[in-house]
Amino acid sequence: MTLQIELNGVNKYYGAFHALKDINLAIEEGTFVALVGPSGCGKSTLLRSLAGLEKITTGEMKIAGQLMNKVPPRKRDVAMVFQSYALYPHMTVEENLTYSLRIRGVKKAEARKAAEAVAATTGLSHLMKRYPRELSGGQRQRVAMSRAIIRHPKAFLFDEPLSNLDAALRVHMRKEIRALHDRLHSTSVYVTHDQIEAMTMADHVVVMRDGVIEQQGRPLDLYDRPANRFVAGFIGSPAMNFIPGIVGEGGADVILDFGRTRARLALAVRLAPGLGVTVGLRPEHVRIVAAGEGAFDIPVGVVESTGSATYVASATQPELTVVETGRGDVRSGDVIGLAINPKQLHLFDAETGQRIEGGRLHNDGRFAPLAAPHPAAATFSPS
Amino acid sequence: MKRILSSVTDGKGFDIGLVLLPLAFLFIMSGLPLVYNVVMSLQEVDMFSLGSFSRPFVGLKNYVDLFSQPETRPILLNTALFVSASIAGQFVIGFGLALFFWMNFPGASWLRGLFLVSWVMPGLVVGAIWNWILSGDFGVLNFLLREMGVTDGNIFWRSDPNYSLWAVIIANIWLGTSFNMILLSVGLSGIPKDLFEAAELDGANAFQRFWTITLPMMRSTIGAIIALGLIFTLQQFDLFAAITSGGPNNASNVTQYWAWDLSFRQYDFAKGATISVIMIVFVMLASVVYVRSTRHEVRG
Repeated sequence: MTLQIELNGVNKYYGAFHALKDINLAIEEGTFVALVGPSGCGKSTLLRSLAGLEKITTGEMKIAGQLMNKVPPRKRDVAMVFQSYALYPHMTVEENLTYSLRIRGVKKAEARKAAEAVAATTGLSHLMKRYPRELSGGQRQRVAMSRAIIRHPKAFLFDEPLSNLDAALRVHMRKEIRALHDRLHSTSVYVTHDQIEAMTMADHVVVMRDGVIEQQGRPLDLYDRPANRFVAGFIGSPAMNFIPGIVGEGGADVILDFGRTRARLALAVRLAPGLGVTVGLRPEHVRIVAAGEGAFDIPVGVVESTGSATYVASATQPELTVVETGRGDVRSGDVIGLAINPKQLHLFDAETGQRIEGGRLHNDGRFAPLAAPHPAAATFSPS
Repeated sequence: MKRILSSVTDGKGFDIGLVLLPLAFLFIMSGLPLVYNVVMSLQEVDMFSLGSFSRPFVGLKNYVDLFSQPETRPILLNTALFVSASIAGQFVIGFGLALFFWMNFPGASWLRGLFLVSWVMPGLVVGAIWNWILSGDFGVLNFLLREMGVTDGNIFWRSDPNYSLWAVIIANIWLGTSFNMILLSVGLSGIPKDLFEAAELDGANAFQRFWTITLPMMRSTIGAIIALGLIFTLQQFDLFAAITSGGPNNASNVTQYWAWDLSFRQYDFAKGATISVIMIVFVMLASVVYVRSTRHEVRG
């Protein structure tokens, strides 16, 4: 496998605003990469920089081994699917598809043949003479994708392409885009704010915040071992519970602070006694048992059921949400026990938010010995 | 009676009233004079019959007489030249400026606002200023042309039959350019930015983007502005009155000025009306183009 897209130390400034901060990214040929993060995190800026629509301030950007810093968009040979689709309103579907070929001087008959071939695979054959305004949202989306496919570009760039579709169509198009990617063996970069899209579609997920890559890796790795509290809260639905706690005297358990009540929870690793931590607990990793039989008991606040799953929120501060498949018989006001596997706990440093793994901090895929980020760290015992 | 009253304050009567009021206004202020003008062009009118409506009907005699006059042909040709040259000049310069200010450099909108000054000025004032600029002996235009080596001697713009029409055209282009620029600017800013980005990624260079995206997307705006330009230049009267008065010897005379001259200086009201009717036909055609092009707005 060769590297198709390479970013080394990319920075982007808008005046004094630092939009992209030292971005390093290596994308192999044929990979589906999702850039995900809250709005304003720089994911769209990064994508537009790849397309050449924004100029990066410093750093190196390579596509297929070629330095792209000064190459104009029209010579980069990348195709982009816009959030608004950006179909040419004054052209029919066929003219939209053949536009890039006609610009390149491909013969009319040849361009038409190519358009028909692509339209056949995307189910647009019967719409070739229509104008974009006569199409539904999903059809427009397909035209936008076909317009990209027809060019056989070095990379496909998707800028939140599904955000204008309704929920059912979105799920359907998600699969279609991924199937298309697999069929064409193309390299795709997909921007979204929806972590579900990122998790389900991508081979490689890049989580961004405030212009920084917080973590990147395979989707399930991000779910299993989030590098920090932000990634942990962003990946997974319903979102992870975060409860402040202090490591107990023996270093083998943590005392959870639920405001008016406290609970003691065993740890799978040994940590320095007295260390302030944030305990992350995924709602789907907690089981509801009878009071007194679990790790600790908790009063029930709100119970919501979707039919297939039941969401139980505790009447504590902070709230702890548990999700159970099926329909539980838990009611508001009950006291329930919670069974928790210590190995499924996520521990984060209370101050820095970095992941604590077996007595060490986990940072961006690398393990590094902890160099006293916290007063209590001096008493760390290596596990 | 009560039901009618209540329907006027609250119901269908109110809607009808809303429609009738402007319709009545249009009919009295525009419709009647128009019809009166057409009728007058088919009658024999002199100073004595001006006050009454029942005048001898002469059929198309006024039209036949008009077209047998020797000055009619040159004046119609002058009008065609005036209209086409003015529109072409206003549109090309206006489009150029609109594209220039579209680049959005610092101060672009401020500068664009300044250009509107020419549009705000009354035609007679513009004419007076251009009289100075175009003046044969001490005009600044002659000075510039001479110093740049374009001409050897002075051109007497306003009194030379070869140049007098062009003198008015130049002033009219100056007067109408900013209006063209503003409307075209609005049209340009209505084109979604990502269309250009998509075209750029599709491999189109700046020139190709202009031909394949900008121009087609501007079609309705361009149609509207050319139709409006036709109407405005056919209305242009002040500049002729101020700069050449149609002279010398009708060299810069156009139908709209001639109609006024015939009616209100030579008191040949029937001929004046006849010319107006001919102009109405052209304005109607322009209006159809205008209405059609604004109806077929292409927006995705």
